[in-house]
Amino acid sequence: MANKSVSKTAGTKKSFVDRMGGQQFIVLIIVIVMFIFFSAMSPGFRKYTTVVSILDYSYYIALMAIGVTFPLLTGGVDLSIGTGLICYSLIGGLLVRQHGMPVAVGMIVTILIGVIFGIINGCLVALMDLPPFLATLCTCMITRGFGAFVVGGYGIPWPAAGQDGGWFRSIFKIQVGGQNIPIGFLWILLLVAIMSFVLNHTKMGRYTRAIGSNKEATRLSGVNVKFYHIMAYVICGLFAGLAAIAYSAIFATVQPGSGAGFEMDAIGGAIVGGVSMSGAVGNVTGTLIGVFVICLLKTGLPFIGLTANWQQIITGFVLIVAVLIDIFKRKKESGK
Amino acid sequence: MESIKQNPLVKKVGFNRIVLCIVLLLMYALFCILTGGDFFGMRRILSALNYAYFLGFLSLAVTFVIATGGIDFSIGPVMFCCALMSGFCFTMYGMPMPAALVISLIIGLAFGIFNGYLVAYWDVPSFITSMASMNIAKGLASVFTKTQSVSWPQSSQDGGWFRKLVTIGDIPMGLIILIVIAVVCAIVLNQTKMGRYILSLGSNKEAVRLSGVNVKKWEMSAYIVCGLLVGIAAIFFVGAYSTVQPGYGDQYNNEAIAGCVMGGTSMAGGLASISGTIIGVFIISLLQEGIMALGLDKNLQLIITGIIVIVAVFADVVARRRKN
Amino acid sequence: MGEVILTMKGIDKSFPGVHALDHVDLEVRKGEVHALMGENGAGKSTLMKVLTGIYKKDSGTITYEGKEVEFHNTREAQDAGVVIVHQELNMLGHLTVAQNIFIGREFKKGIRIDDKKMNEEARKLFDRMHIDIDPKETMSKLTVGKQQMCEIAKAISHEAKVIIFDEPSAALTEAEIEELFKIIRDLRDQGLGIVYISHRMDEIKVITDRVTVMRDGAYVGTLITKDCTKDDIINMMVGRVIYEDPKTKNMTPKGSPVVLKVDHLNAGKMVQDVSFELHKGEVLGFSGLMGAGRTETMRALFGADPIESGDIYINGKKVTIKSPQDAVKHGIGYLSEDRKRFGIVVQKSVAENTTMADLDEFSNGPFINKKKEKKVAEKFVESLATKTPSVDQLVVNLSGGNQQKVVIAKWLTRNCDILIFDEPTRGIDVGAKNEIYKLMNRLAAEGKAIIMVSSEMTEILRMSDRIVVMCEGKKTGELDISEATQENIMNMATREIN
Repeated sequence: MANKSVSKTAGTKKSFVDRMGGQQFIVLIIVIVMFIFFSAMSPGFRKYTTVVSILDYSYYIALMAIGVTFPLLTGGVDLSIGTGLICYSLIGGLLVRQHGMPVAVGMIVTILIGVIFGIINGCLVALMDLPPFLATLCTCMITRGFGAFVVGGYGIPWPAAGQDGGWFRSIFKIQVGGQNIPIGFLWILLLVAIMSFVLNHTKMGRYTRAIGSNKEATRLSGVNVKFYHIMAYVICGLFAGLAAIAYSAIFATVQPGSGAGFEMDAIGGAIVGGVSMSGAVGNVTGTLIGVFVICLLKTGLPFIGLTANWQQIITGFVLIVAVLIDIFKRKKESGK
Repeated sequence: MESIKQNPLVKKVGFNRIVLCIVLLLMYALFCILTGGDFFGMRRILSALNYAYFLGFLSLAVTFVIATGGIDFSIGPVMFCCALMSGFCFTMYGMPMPAALVISLIIGLAFGIFNGYLVAYWDVPSFITSMASMNIAKGLASVFTKTQSVSWPQSSQDGGWFRKLVTIGDIPMGLIILIVIAVVCAIVLNQTKMGRYILSLGSNKEAVRLSGVNVKKWEMSAYIVCGLLVGIAAIFFVGAYSTVQPGYGDQYNNEAIAGCVMGGTSMAGGLASISGTIIGVFIISLLQEGIMALGLDKNLQLIITGIIVIVAVFADVVARRRKN
Repeated sequence: MGEVILTMKGIDKSFPGVHALDHVDLEVRKGEVHALMGENGAGKSTLMKVLTGIYKKDSGTITYEGKEVEFHNTREAQDAGVVIVHQELNMLGHLTVAQNIFIGREFKKGIRIDDKKMNEEARKLFDRMHIDIDPKETMSKLTVGKQQMCEIAKAISHEAKVIIFDEPSAALTEAEIEELFKIIRDLRDQGLGIVYISHRMDEIKVITDRVTVMRDGAYVGTLITKDCTKDDIINMMVGRVIYEDPKTKNMTPKGSPVVLKVDHLNAGKMVQDVSFELHKGEVLGFSGLMGAGRTETMRALFGADPIESGDIYINGKKVTIKSPQDAVKHGIGYLSEDRKRFGIVVQKSVAENTTMADLDEFSNGPFINKKKEKKVAEKFVESLATKTPSVDQLVVNLSGGNQQKVVIAKWLTRNCDILIFDEPTRGIDVGAKNEIYKLMNRLAAEGKAIIMVSSEMTEILRMSDRIVVMCEGKKTGELDISEATQENIMNMATREIN
């Protein structure tokens, strides 16, 4: 008898799409359709080198997006990751270029500064109760100014592939027989797996979601809400640091003053991938798939004769549509 | 301290505003000393005012949105979009100057309507809307101008008369216009139905709705005013600095918001001060000029305004906490 | 019934202006279900909040398992085994059932949360309760009844010895209530002490062993349930106090026209097929228990929530009300039970709030005529005797009663003919209550039609010309004041509808 009614409660009919992972599944199909579309439209697109360049583009966006998923799940946001990425990379690069530090040290410093800004953001939001978008808008400006200030306004080239310390570029891309192998993608997959585990199977992830679902109820359950709230931003900062490394490894030079708008690609990717702006809903795999929608737009549009600027406009609309879908879903749920 | 606050004259002018004015004067004195008197002259003041014009309009614009409890940080890029697209119409398509100026206003207005509609009628969080329209503005401007910068005509050139809006000789026309429009804004906010509803719904939207007020319409109207003022800001930006480059503009968001929150407008909505905003804008402009005059890195400006906003908003949070 | 596990003696608690608990006693034994009864505002919830450490008591003693205790927060009380199952659920809708039950004390395997074990433990809890809920189901997908069961499971998992149920059945269906009772009986048989707060007379007779009755923050008495009748309990709840000038007959002028007719109104689960008429110059009382759907009916009528079906006629003409704008246009004014959220804009002045609903009348084009506004606001401050230093005072600085008068002024300024007062005197002290009553009578005499939703029986009897009683979203009775008694209203309000 027990079994019978269990199957009744669990047996609320799930659609095919829901069983395949809901929005994630749809977005995955969109990615595939987009890929086929661009391939059909342009012979230049269906080349191995294009795939490699799409992946090259995707690393830093994906890393930022994985990180920003955590603040988003708490119901907040982090707008500082884009300019932050450039700032961390500039400072790390400066140490390597001007102060002759080994690349490994430069990388560690880059990540550390990311974590520090994560802590700052976390404290502003969790301890000082500032609205997340405003607090991180400020740190966005601060990191932008800080990075440019430290390097004195000049671009910083991290060591090139052949140079001393250029080994770090092969973290993301190695050459075998004249062909580029995008091994960075494996790192991304590994990190997605790790962060999925963190999100779904550890206290850290559980409480991140709980804060986004009902912060007060979580607090009343005896959870140290402030700590875990800060930690969400620290994770975000950590991944912005990792993204800074990826960015330095892929692009020749890091320019101060750039980076604004990167966060849009990352946040857009996360939301397209099913992360809810109101918190608690979403996961890292969805975020990754969403990032590829953005990356395909970024790399694909020039192939069909539209400049990269169109990508900006389209990302803006994609973001609004994704949020509207989220709002619509929530309205439907609460209406029931 | 308390007794000063209770003084009727102080109460009337507003304690916050008096403090801001003192800060403004002290800053000026400090810069005068630090630059060895270089600051003590019309040249620097006029230069600071140039910055204050467009920033003033931006700050007024965002004041309306913040009064409803929302936020708009697409204002900087939208301002650039207005300046780029209308300037391009003038330089490349040979449109007459008045038409170009009107186009600037129309583009600003269009973004205001777009933002307002999404926020008020479709319940999209305002910061998402502004993120999206920030991207759209940047992209649109780049596409339209084919990623080229646009230079507006100098005063001697054809159509250069529009610079008279900013200065006629040594007369700072811009200041006069800014003050006039600020007064109009103050009247709108404090003396009209629209302002009353904007402030009230920023404070308690549901209570206003249950009073039978069309809150959606009025909330959207705040964004429309914002858009129009951004269009005006664009004209004063090019009037002072001539050249605009696509892809930029977001650094001005923070400065505009800084001017607004420093002036006593609450991020929680419902409380706004136009005069405070204007004084706040003067402080930011003076700071910018001072940093330039002292030969310091202009990036310091970004850092300092960032910190100013954090401090000002935190003060507002603390004040609200104490009230409850 | 076993030995005494919990004794509260002489509990006293005051809030500014209110003596909320006046030397209240309560004794709970192991293996009993002890009902705590009283009208809204009698102090039941306050007493339980004192017990679980949410409020600090002023005096009195709490003895638990033979030792005097004082819990400082719910967490301490939980750890000691005193757990409260709230009426409003404190859940995390996006998490699964098991994750909710064990939030804050997850089982771990290394750094990993052991969800498998949590699911098993949750399953064991549900088995113990003889109910079937999938521990892996997302919380928000369950019905309210099932969510309540999860809260109970969470309480049990704390090794609770005393469980307090605060109006657990308010949102449950018949079948769910039966399930709930089965669980409660099981828990009782396992030797737990249960405190059961409810309004529903029938339930009390079915499920409880003893009843403690409170009235106006004071202890009235304790009865053994099976030895007393429903009427005994009702008598204790309402007391034998004679109310000052309760209405004995309908004061509405004969043949006064119907100004509002509501026909088969449906809006969600809480408003089912509600019909009534309202006459000019009448005070129509809406009585019922918490969650009876009265507020929901009013909100639907006012256009604040969407209507599913049903017709509304004003002065005989059919009208469409889709938003508060429509309602106000047709002369309906709504005074919410939650003034701070729905009634006033606290950060604005008295004058600004007064003209909120009728600003067009005070505008020349886009400009507000502040002189006129001030004059009218002052007129109402005077005629309603609102205590405020000036009309420029921010409403946040006024007392509850005066805030209510500002809301009344708002609708009078708009010249609304139909006024809906939802719990008009909630949070208002005794003296001010009288004033509000007088005011309502005056308005009715001036020809306004008034609907008054109230949970206070005395208020209903004192003010209404006619009374509509609701229960679980349906209208269960309509009485003229001349035939209304507390007993027959209570009967209708607790009537089982099948």
